[in-house]
Formats: sequence, C-alpha cells, structure tokens
Amino acid sequence: MDDRRKLLNHFLAALAYRTQKALRDAPEDFGSFRVIEGVRTPAELVRHMASVLGYARTFFVGGHYRPEALASFDEEIERFHEMLGLLAQHLRNGDALLEGMTEERLLQGPFSDAMTHAGQLALLRRLAGAPVAPENFIVAEIKEERLGPDQPRPASPDKIWPEAPKGWTSE
Amino acid sequence: MNTDLTDKRSLLRHTVATLAYRGGKAVTNAPEGFDQFRLNEGTRTPGQILAHIGDLLDWGLSIASGQQKWHDSKPLAWNDEIARFHATLEAFDAYLASDEPLHAPEEKLFQGPVADALTHVGQIAMLRRIAGGPMKGENYYRAEIEAGRVGADQSSRRVEFD
Repeated sequence: MDDRRKLLNHFLAALAYRTQKALRDAPEDFGSFRVIEGVRTPAELVRHMASVLGYARTFFVGGHYRPEALASFDEEIERFHEMLGLLAQHLRNGDALLEGMTEERLLQGPFSDAMTHAGQLALLRRLAGAPVAPENFIVAEIKEERLGPDQPRPASPDKIWPEAPKGWTSE
Repeated sequence: MNTDLTDKRSLLRHTVATLAYRGGKAVTNAPEGFDQFRLNEGTRTPGQILAHIGDLLDWGLSIASGQQKWHDSKPLAWNDEIARFHATLEAFDAYLASDEPLHAPEEKLFQGPVADALTHVGQIAMLRRIAGGPMKGENYYRAEIEAGRVGADQSSRRVEFD
C-alpha cells in the first residue's frame, strides 16, 4: 500500500475509534435522542456517516449509494463499521479511483465529513446528559486493521475533567 | 519550503488545509453572540471550543517539533479567536512544510490534535444549527482545498446547497 493510502487507512481507523468512544456505554435510548427539530439524532448521524463513506466507496466501485434507515441503532452502527472495512479493503488492494477522484479529495470530502460527525455524536452524548470522558488521543491504540466496533479503552484517560458530571472519577 | 516532502507528510498538510477550510466556514458569518451560546451547564460555548482548537494546534506543533507541551488558553473575543485559529494553523503548517524533522509519526499527529480539531469543527457546525444560524451544506470533495492555504482567505468558489 502506498504511503498516502496508509494514512487514509489510519484515518478510517481513527474514525472507528472515535465513533466507538462516542457510542460506548451510551444511554439505552441514545440512538433516538433529538436535541431539537432539524438536528439529526445519533442514529441518523451514524446512517449519514455510513452514507458519506458509501459515497466514497462509489469512487472505487461505481454506482450510487443511499442507505435505507435500519430498524435499530445497533444495526446502523454495524453497517457503519462494515462500510469502514469495505472502504479500507479498496485502499489496501490498491484499487484505482474512478472519475478523477484522488486521495486528497477523499480525505477533504467524505472522510473528513465523517470525522466531523463523530465529534457531533460526542456533543450529543453531552447534551443527552451522558458525556464522554476526555483522553490523550495521541497515545490511543488506533490500528489500521482495527475498524470494527470492538475498539480498545483509552490508553491515557485524562486525570482532570473540568466539565465532568457529578460523581465522575478518573480511571 | 521543502519541495520533497514524503507522501504522508504532504497528505497531513492537506488535512491541515482541510481543517482551515472547514473550520473557517464554521466560524464565518456566525449569528451575533454565537461565541457565548451555551445550551446547558457543562457544555462548552463555541468560543471555548474554538480556543480549544487553537490549543490543539499549538500542541500539535509542539509535538512535531519535539517539545511537547499543553496550554489551556482563555477564549479571546470571537474575531480574535478566529485570527488565532488561522495563525496556529499557519505555524503548524509551516513546520510541516519545512525541512525540520517530525518528532512523531504522521499517524500520531493526525489521530491526536488534527482529528480532534476536525471533530470540534463538527461540533461548532452543529451548535450553529441549534443556535438558529446553520451553515449551508457543501460538497467538500469538490472544494478548492490545497496544502498551504490555511489562512482566513479561503476559496469562495464552493458547491453549496441548502
């Protein structure tokens, strides 16, 4: 795999890690949490993330990708991770990009879109009253081959969390 | 500027330029008082988030240059914080573009400060929608984003939609 694709693959792994961090131990009904009308729920966000990654994949396989809503949040999450795996496989295989797409444009478009949405999931966790504890991401165990929902716990959780909910203690 | 950067380092610079473009869009033409918008206690205001992004970029530069340090800064006035955002991007990008060695792998610089900053840009965008001043959607893969273009003067030729 060439170096640019290695970094893109790492981008997808970081996306898997950060998305799972935002979803792990979420309240039971978090998938349907709607902060106000006009803002996506977590389930809608995860579907949208699968959609933008599926769109990215069409630049390897052609066609269109418009995912239907699934019955449960868990299924939406599963599909998102499947899409990460499929996309990463194209990168690893060295598959050609279609329609003039480049690695840079994949990064600035759908990949970065999905990363911004991972941040929104974390914000919604906070607004739903169940915020995610901070960590030092630079030492997080993010591995290129690890794209599924089974992501490791933080390697270096923050000891100080100024906005921590009542009762929080550092791990 | 080093014209013989590795592919990874060049792509990291492109990510920094993407952050400038997307971040610049998220903070430009925000509603009056948006920097102080707070949904509830325990959530950061957009001004605090943008200051945190600046701190992340300072941190990224310190890691890249081998002198890692973290500093929590107090938010500046909104326009000053926007100027700081672009100034920190420029400093970080200038180092990445130089002949100086990277003291951390590109992957680590990406997964830490750069990815963090991207997630926070997404949060500012969501807060704009909640605050009643949403940004237009955009097909970002077509955006005129180029390594080194990290200031406030981003391309106005955009493929936007409501």
